[in-house]
Amino acid sequence: MRAGRSIALTTARDAVETEIGFTRTVAGLNLIVSDLAPHIALLAQGALLTVEVCVLALAGAVVVGAAIAMMRASGSRLLRGIATVYVDIFRNIPFLVQLFFFYYGLPELGIYVDAFATGVLALSIAGGAFASDVIRSGILAIDPGIVEAAQVYGLSRRTTFLKIVMPIALRLSVRPLGSVLINLILTSSILSTITLNELTGSAKIVASQTFRPFEVYAVLLLAYASLTYLLSIAIARFHRRLNRGVLEAV
Amino acid sequence: MRYADFGPHDIVLLLNGLGVSLTLFLTTSLVGVVLGALLAVVRYYRVLVARELVTFVTEMLKNSPVLVQLFLVFFGIPALFKIDVTPFEAAFFTLALNTAAFVYVIVVSAVESIDREQIEAGRVFGLTRWQVLRHVIAPQAVAFATGPLTALLVNQLQVTSLISVIGVVDLTKVGDILNMRTLKPFIVWTVVGVLYYLAAKIIALAGGFVERRLTAHSAWKGL
Repeated sequence: MRAGRSIALTTARDAVETEIGFTRTVAGLNLIVSDLAPHIALLAQGALLTVEVCVLALAGAVVVGAAIAMMRASGSRLLRGIATVYVDIFRNIPFLVQLFFFYYGLPELGIYVDAFATGVLALSIAGGAFASDVIRSGILAIDPGIVEAAQVYGLSRRTTFLKIVMPIALRLSVRPLGSVLINLILTSSILSTITLNELTGSAKIVASQTFRPFEVYAVLLLAYASLTYLLSIAIARFHRRLNRGVLEAV
Repeated sequence: MRYADFGPHDIVLLLNGLGVSLTLFLTTSLVGVVLGALLAVVRYYRVLVARELVTFVTEMLKNSPVLVQLFLVFFGIPALFKIDVTPFEAAFFTLALNTAAFVYVIVVSAVESIDREQIEAGRVFGLTRWQVLRHVIAPQAVAFATGPLTALLVNQLQVTSLISVIGVVDLTKVGDILNMRTLKPFIVWTVVGVLYYLAAKIIALAGGFVERRLTAHSAWKGL
């Protein structure tokens, strides 16, 4: 306490902190709760924004991923090449660089979209590269006999792909797509750098308002970890449920 | 406009940034790999409670955004313990721990990929636990882990870009500075992206080379 007191004489900020440090030991966890309570609404708003971004980005990533997976499985050499280059580029360049490319680059092209749209777009494109791998291995895991049976029935290539191959491939991909979603959730925190106040962005605001960055970020870390943990359990259950019949084969 | 154009100095700036990124990447990877492997060995020796503790911490590190971890270390820890932490120190600490968490999982699964019989046989032959670890487990586990480890390192290189957010002047931060000055986002971010891409490719190539060497004994040699 003595060292704390001498610091307190020098700066006002430290004085406040010393006092907080003292009461903190007295009140313990209660204080963290009561201190953060007024800001719960803001954090909840941020969390909601994170959920919105991630759900939209997941949908985007699955669409992009399915398209890329189709190209990679196609007979055309050109399409295969384009798809391979796409995946290679977006997996080997940091997401932050990709995000800045779109955030600063799109207005140059005369496309004025807000941070939310830019974030969803960038996440969909990057997530698509990862989702395409997952969906592709889902396609490759399909028993050739199923496709042959569809051909024998006289279904067109298009119908075979959209009604037979894709449903099975996507069903088999639920669990790995879940890991893509969890990755998207973790990556979406980077959107706070382009002024989008999702969960991490709003936590930044709370940390600077309360002067208690450690508690705020520790809670945030726990929140992310428990959220993704629960989500991974739910996804594993969903995957087992959807693939009841084929689980032994996979 | 005179000072807004690209100049030869910018190349030096970019290379400086790349140097900072690569330095941090290499040092944190080294520390992370050693630390992660040590933690996995602790698991092998079955120290009381250590296993649960390590599992909890690594799961936390793996399942939360690196950005939040960086904020916790850079903004949180100095406020709590009243110490000064430079952006570089915070970045080093966070990235090393983060890498260690992922390395731990890779090493544990690599060790588990080895048949129990081999360990038992080694013990029966009178090797000590350390000798089993050094001569039976380690050579096979390293060969097994090289592939996933390379993928991890390529990923960790990209993760280093996040340290620009807490003010380390790495390649991404240099890109940010150039972007603000020249107002030519396409050129700047393309160049930055290409540099990251090349670095990632070199890591992947090196990893592939090491993996081929280590698994040469089991490679298909033809008929």
